[in-house]
Amino acid sequence: MASRDKKIQPDWWSKTLAGVLLGLTFSFALVGCFAWYGPGGITADSKVQFNMWITPAIWLPIMSFVYLFNNGKQAWMYLAGANVLAYAALFLLR
Amino acid sequence: MKVRSDILRIYQSLHIWTGIISGMVLFIGFYAGSLTMFKDAINQWMTPPSEALAPIATHQYDDLIAQAVAQYPDAAKGFTLNFNHADKAPMEWFEQGSDRELNLAGVVRQASFDQDGQLVSQVAEPSVLADLVDMLHRTAGIFGEVGHEELGVYVLGVASFLYFLAIVSGVIFLLPTLVKSLFSLRQNKTSSRFWLDAHNAVGILSLPFHIVISLTVIVFAFHDQLYDGLEHIVYREQPMFTRPAPPKVEYKLENVPSVAELQNLVKTIAPEHKILSMNYGNLTTPRATIRVGVFDENSTMRGPVHDYVFIQPYSQQILSSTLNPAPEGIWVRTVASFFALHFGSYGGELGRWVYFVLGIMGAFLFYSGNLLWLEKRRNKKGPEQARNVRWMASATVGICLGSMLAVAACFASAKWIKAYTDSLNYAHMWVYYAVFFACMLSAYLKGAAKSSVTILRLLVITCLAIPANSFIALMLPSLAIWPADSFSDVVLELVAIVLAALFYYFAKQTAKRVKQGEENSVWVTKQSLA
Repeated sequence: MASRDKKIQPDWWSKTLAGVLLGLTFSFALVGCFAWYGPGGITADSKVQFNMWITPAIWLPIMSFVYLFNNGKQAWMYLAGANVLAYAALFLLR
Repeated sequence: MKVRSDILRIYQSLHIWTGIISGMVLFIGFYAGSLTMFKDAINQWMTPPSEALAPIATHQYDDLIAQAVAQYPDAAKGFTLNFNHADKAPMEWFEQGSDRELNLAGVVRQASFDQDGQLVSQVAEPSVLADLVDMLHRTAGIFGEVGHEELGVYVLGVASFLYFLAIVSGVIFLLPTLVKSLFSLRQNKTSSRFWLDAHNAVGILSLPFHIVISLTVIVFAFHDQLYDGLEHIVYREQPMFTRPAPPKVEYKLENVPSVAELQNLVKTIAPEHKILSMNYGNLTTPRATIRVGVFDENSTMRGPVHDYVFIQPYSQQILSSTLNPAPEGIWVRTVASFFALHFGSYGGELGRWVYFVLGIMGAFLFYSGNLLWLEKRRNKKGPEQARNVRWMASATVGICLGSMLAVAACFASAKWIKAYTDSLNYAHMWVYYAVFFACMLSAYLKGAAKSSVTILRLLVITCLAIPANSFIALMLPSLAIWPADSFSDVVLELVAIVLAALFYYFAKQTAKRVKQGEENSVWVTKQSLA
């Protein structure tokens, strides 16, 4: 892949914003899937606490590795794509 | 391991900037956090021997509650029972304020029976020394409120977010040299090499602890916002928290079951545990709850000190518990273990000491990180250092060392203030902030080099003053201060001596660097150059 040979652009602001915003929304969607389809379902007693706890545990690794995208635009596109998929799973399958 | 150089460069920048922004508040959060591991010991150390009311037998508690409420109707709203505790009164309640957050004007009334079975009670002004340390741990001493949360908690939440990025980026840019350099402490090369090796070794060896702390602090700070997000995106019309409908009885004390009945209820889910305390809250409302603190040395505790069982007193229902053994209790138990991982309450007394040391090591990590940042930006060609470097050096010394000196001063003065003034808790705050800002000012005016040596020397003296007070109290019994009078009191003062020895060593080393170190550095005073 040709693009792999290029150096990574830092694009600090754009990647950081993508990680903060889209990373968080993606984490919520993923946790949402776990909340609805995971063990115990949506009504399991106190599961909401667990769900709240794991949200940042998903968000922060995304935040940490968002800088590996070649540039800011790519970060926004991939994370937006991941969001679309995750929200489709959350809302359409329910 | 090989990592591409452009990736390394990006993560190096990320590490440096997230670290330098979050380092100093985290420093305070960590060393103060280490001290909070022994919050109970600090409270005990601050309780004069004469103050504790006598413990009573379990079957006497119902009588005590009835008589206390008859005499002090306010107590009917809520109170706490303590069982088998030499330093805590059998029954106590807040006449002013509450036990939530740092409460300077709190007034607690304690009650017990005397030898003839007569009700005795006294007003105690609880010392907030331990709470002050806890406040520094949670907020780094930053004042103000946002909504119903302290501003400092949010500041530490954001700092923790950056801290997670600093952890990951630090590991990534260390990967290529990790194996080679992990266990090497190159003392004979330059001093900056030594600091770097130590910084890396401490960071890597306590990595799991740091990941746990950063994630839990983010949750502690932003749980409301995260719940809001879950509510809007995930749960929507689904209720997130369910609470059984309150029973239809009159909410008054006569309808609350006896202590023995409640204890039997607790025993159904915690047969092995000792019941330490029962906190009766909101008794006159439908939200009435009794929080029971239970303790078992051989199991994982989920709270800072013990596990909890929550009971609705009027329906005698167990609302929830951090040790619910039923299969559906898996979520509460798992979440409770996240708390335990932060509080270090899962490994008994040894676990507390391990957390104490890990916390101090964390503080070292942030301090050394700042020193490395300064070293990197040093102008090696001349004695004049850039303004931002001088300021950062002063801030590092003033804030980090200054905050520790301020806490030490609080401890050294605490017993005198308690014995000879009426406004104990305000005095604690004055001592802390006066010393802290004085250190900041001196670091700014006199520069990092001079003030670091001064502050470290003062730390030695102040730490030694803590056991010296005990000595004075023993020599001059007419004074109103009191000596260490229990095992944990003695250990606390021994720790102060160990810390004094450490600070003495640091002061000596720092003074040496000021006199003999490389000339072109913020760590050299103008006088020593001349």
